[in-house]
Amino acid sequence: MYSIETKKLTKKFKDKIAVNEIDLNIKQGELFALLGVNGAGKTTTIKMLSGLILPTSGEIIIENMNMKKDIFKIKEILNVSPQETAIAPNLTVKENLEFMAGVYQIKDKEKKIDELIKQFKLDEVLNKKAKTLSGGWQRKVSIAISLINDPKILFLDEPTLGLDVIARKELWKVINSLKGKITIILTTHYMEEAESLSDRIGIMANGKLIDIGTSQELIKKTKAKNFEDAFVSIATGGEL
Amino acid sequence: MRMINFAKRNFKELIRDPLSLVFEIVLPLFLLFIFQQFDIPAENYRLENFTPSIILFGFSFITLFTATLIAKDRTSSLLIRLGTSPMKSSDYILGYILSLLPIVLIQNVLFFITAIAMGLEFTISIIPTILISMIISIFFISLGILIGSLVSEKGTGGLGSIIVQLVCFTSGMYFPKEVMGGVFEIICKSLPFEACLTIIQGTLHNDFSNLTLLHIIVFLIYFITVIFLSIITFKKKMISDNK
Ligand SMILES: Nc1ncnc2c1ncn2[C@@H]1O[C@H](COP(=O)(O)OP(=O)(O)O)[C@@H](O)[C@H]1O
Ligand SMILES: [Mg+2]
Repeated sequence: MYSIETKKLTKKFKDKIAVNEIDLNIKQGELFALLGVNGAGKTTTIKMLSGLILPTSGEIIIENMNMKKDIFKIKEILNVSPQETAIAPNLTVKENLEFMAGVYQIKDKEKKIDELIKQFKLDEVLNKKAKTLSGGWQRKVSIAISLINDPKILFLDEPTLGLDVIARKELWKVINSLKGKITIILTTHYMEEAESLSDRIGIMANGKLIDIGTSQELIKKTKAKNFEDAFVSIATGGEL
Repeated sequence: MRMINFAKRNFKELIRDPLSLVFEIVLPLFLLFIFQQFDIPAENYRLENFTPSIILFGFSFITLFTATLIAKDRTSSLLIRLGTSPMKSSDYILGYILSLLPIVLIQNVLFFITAIAMGLEFTISIIPTILISMIISIFFISLGILIGSLVSEKGTGGLGSIIVQLVCFTSGMYFPKEVMGGVFEIICKSLPFEACLTIIQGTLHNDFSNLTLLHIIVFLIYFITVIFLSIITFKKKMISDNK
């Protein structure tokens, strides 16, 4: 069974086609990286898959449920770390975690929150207001929050943007520990991140999903030296 | 309950903004105090009339700060995150309204304590007055939700202060509308603020002889329209902001 299936998924903004007839099949427990230059349509795809915006046309099936019919059931089992850090500014880190635990009506709230505090080493910032934290810390909190409901499907939109090297490596560790257990869709501009974390990689350009495969498959196909060259070759249609 | 969870968060955001508390509570209290020092010989400024005016004046700031909170929420990515959660539109709207009611209650209680300290006679009708004004406050909160859904955070300052001005000049809190006469009187009659004040004053005095059928009709029309519009506008914006 697929965790995520789309059929001709399309989103138009007035006359701009942001996502153009995408067909995706992502297996349960798979870590799927979505790559593409700025404006390729990655964020719009994630917004549709997470039920934030409605597709112009096409279908989305998540864990055998149709997005059109069961949107609220689907929203219970997924979570998103949006491209922009999303936390309540005047609340402390602890209060943010409690608030989001309430949003998802988590049963054993305290236990889950403690677990996330340990996992993301949030102790030192726990009682600070979110708006006073550095960008890197805000992002870490934002990502920690996205695990509050033990999602079956997790969308990470450029999760390591603005993180320093150490924080990035720490996050990789967290992501690796989730690998295989939950389905993860990740977007990134860091090629080594996509290469080392993901099972498969999809490359988008101008709203289209133009290639899909493991990093090795994509390297082979383009006869490139490494994955970065393979990506550039695919994303530019072989021009570079 | 998701709605209460959301209300809790909103309440925290609101009371941690010191400026909003100054305008919602300190400024009206100051006006209540200062106008009693002058001993102005007009009916409007007698404590039993001016205390309800101050309640209404405080509500205009409730509109302003509700609008600001919502406009701010719309620009922050928090609503994007919540948009992917199982929260429903009713959770948002009721969550916003619920979070402001405790602030309204605190306002009312503080205004009455101050007024009584300055000589307002304590009567049992203070309790229904607080209840009625909390119901009226829902109109002002919804108006804030509507404004906050329509304009940006900067715009809420402008529109919000127009509401503050309208309350001051058209409710009759500072001077009776008859003083200006003509068109101004018609404007006052067709806006809901005079009706709000008359209802609150009437409840406090336990005397509704100033309340006309027109007052009630005008208030109800605005009340229902604004609630209705705020719900659909917020819903629409919530989707289109993210489109
Ligand atoms: N709300 C919107 N209104 C109009 N155009 C939009 C909107 N959101 C995204 N777009 C456009 O859709 C395209 C894809 O954007 P996006 O999905 O954010 O790309 P990515 O995440 O890959 O950088 C871009 O050209 C962008 O300008
Ligand atoms: Mg993006």
